[in-house]
Amino acid sequence: MSNFSLSSKSEQDIAIMEPKGYINDIGAETLELASEQFLGNGIKKLIVNFSGVQFINTIGLSIFLSMVQKTLEYHSLLCFTNMKKDHREIFEMAGLMKYVKVFKDENDAFSYLNRRS
Amino acid sequence: MSFSSLQEKDFSGRQDELAGLLKRVLQADTGLAQSIVLSGPRGIGKTELLKHLFSQLFWKQSRMAPFFYSVSPALLSASAFSRTYLTQFICQRLSFQKKEQALLYRDGITVEDLSTLAEEHEAIWARDLLDQYARGSADPVDGLRIALNAPHRSALSTGIPVAVLIDDFHWLAGLHRDGFPEQRLIALFEEPVSQRKTPHVIAGSMAELQEISVVSGLERIAVQPLGQEATSSRILSLLQEHGSEGSSVPPLLLRHLGGNPFYLDRVVTRACVKHNPDEKDFWSAYIREIMNGTLSLFWSSVLKGYLPDLSRRRTALALLYKIYHSSDAFSCERIAKSFSLTDSQASAVAKALYLAGFLRGEFGFFKATDDRVLLDIIDHLYMREMLAKSAHDMEQDFLERLLPQKEQVVRFDMTLPMTKEAELIAAQCLDQIGKNFHLNQDAIGQLQIAVIEACINAMEHGQGIGKKVYVGIIVDEGRIEVSVESAGQEFIVQETGEPVHDQNTGNGPKRGWGLKLIKRFTDEVTFEKTALGTKVVLVKKIEKSAGVPKEDVANRE
Repeated sequence: MSNFSLSSKSEQDIAIMEPKGYINDIGAETLELASEQFLGNGIKKLIVNFSGVQFINTIGLSIFLSMVQKTLEYHSLLCFTNMKKDHREIFEMAGLMKYVKVFKDENDAFSYLNRRS
Repeated sequence: MSFSSLQEKDFSGRQDELAGLLKRVLQADTGLAQSIVLSGPRGIGKTELLKHLFSQLFWKQSRMAPFFYSVSPALLSASAFSRTYLTQFICQRLSFQKKEQALLYRDGITVEDLSTLAEEHEAIWARDLLDQYARGSADPVDGLRIALNAPHRSALSTGIPVAVLIDDFHWLAGLHRDGFPEQRLIALFEEPVSQRKTPHVIAGSMAELQEISVVSGLERIAVQPLGQEATSSRILSLLQEHGSEGSSVPPLLLRHLGGNPFYLDRVVTRACVKHNPDEKDFWSAYIREIMNGTLSLFWSSVLKGYLPDLSRRRTALALLYKIYHSSDAFSCERIAKSFSLTDSQASAVAKALYLAGFLRGEFGFFKATDDRVLLDIIDHLYMREMLAKSAHDMEQDFLERLLPQKEQVVRFDMTLPMTKEAELIAAQCLDQIGKNFHLNQDAIGQLQIAVIEACINAMEHGQGIGKKVYVGIIVDEGRIEVSVESAGQEFIVQETGEPVHDQNTGNGPKRGWGLKLIKRFTDEVTFEKTALGTKVVLVKKIEKSAGVPKEDVANRE
């Protein structure tokens, strides 16, 4: 039984993924798979809402890295929202923050992405 | 001294210092070695370090000869000192030549017998030295000069430099002719100490060494208290020696002992009279040590040595008690006024206590040292000598003083199976502990992340060896210490004290991140080898919660 779950949806050309619980290898792989599906379906604006994320470990973090690489390959936009300070520090340590946009909440991320063609 | 019995395994916690010293003195064959002084408080392990340095030089290499001399306060006439110095040097040097251990212990050998021995060893340089000494020793100053320069003469003749290791050097301030100490006698060390082929490593009472001009100009190497990792390693070694690997010394007692190897050895050895002593046994052993054990005896004899007069010693004890229970620095004037002494009496007592290592002194002011064991010993001596308290009352006093502190420390232990996401159990426990103790939630959150990484690390390295990870959480005033132990072996790089990335798992960069993350979210991280395998200890300084909300949402863009 994993301590991770993911809910996702898409509105217009924007996909929103809401992971919950512990992002380890299982969690991050689930998230990576979901983002690949969105990208494969032509959705190039992705939002990851971290409000339900409890912990991220470094194995999960390394899978996040490949997810970020994928979004770059697809020339898509990746936004993170509702991040706790500790989560942000983990991503900063891995050097991932320069490839993503961070917003306070989904609405802010939505407004930003809607302004982008 | 039995050099042959010195085993590397018995010298836990000082390997780095030993390797550094060895490297320094071995530079003599390149002409780069310089004489040095080892500094540090009493009991910190300077003598032990010198003895192990001798042992390493004697047994492990052949390009530099070692000479160890421990100065005896009973042999301070120039002629007696020069004779023992010279004969011991030649014995040890000949012994080194053929690695003949028996010669190391030829104390009291006559110059004539040694001359014959030198001839048997075909050591012409030694025979020449002894001849020169026999001719010149009628004048004690000439004899002393010949003896002190003997290592250098042998280096020139044989081409093998000599590391001269002198312990308790401070006694040499008392070198005398006809009972009258003369400064110029110890000044004769200036020449041999400055020779590059004979680097001297000098140890002794630092306060007294500072007043000896030959030494004051030399580079000083501080012998530090043992760190956490070195302390653990030493304790493990001691417990194994006594067949009590199942025991562990209470963390609060460890902090009380301040990383002093002499204190550690005594308390652990005393506690191990009982097989597998528990926490209470360690505290009892400590109290017995400060009341009537070797530690108490050691400091009492130092006090007697510097203040032989009983009434002066009682005054000194009262003074120490006052200073150790005050945060102030005391001037001689204040001491004189407080204890109805003349200025010169106050100055003499304070100086004796400073030289003995009981007090720190700066710019005419005296303060207590940071040694908590010494504070307890002073309290015990004061209660016994000045207040005439019974042993039972004193023991109760110490129990009341020390054990309530112990109760402030709360410890939680858990055993995790190596199953998927078991690390979350440890993290959730920390969360509950934080709530129970009203600790800052942000800090607990960071520690949870670090502990998750440490547990994952332990599971990866312990795979296939053990099936469990042991997590200990100690909540102490202002800090939480979490230890994560598993059966994983030898993943620490000696030079850095950090784990080696496991090439087999292919997780190099990830585990590199793990360590980075652990360091980022804790205040201290140490890795220790244990009887089980490896233990990582994380320390986080945590204040009581001030109602800081955990949600701290990033606001960018």
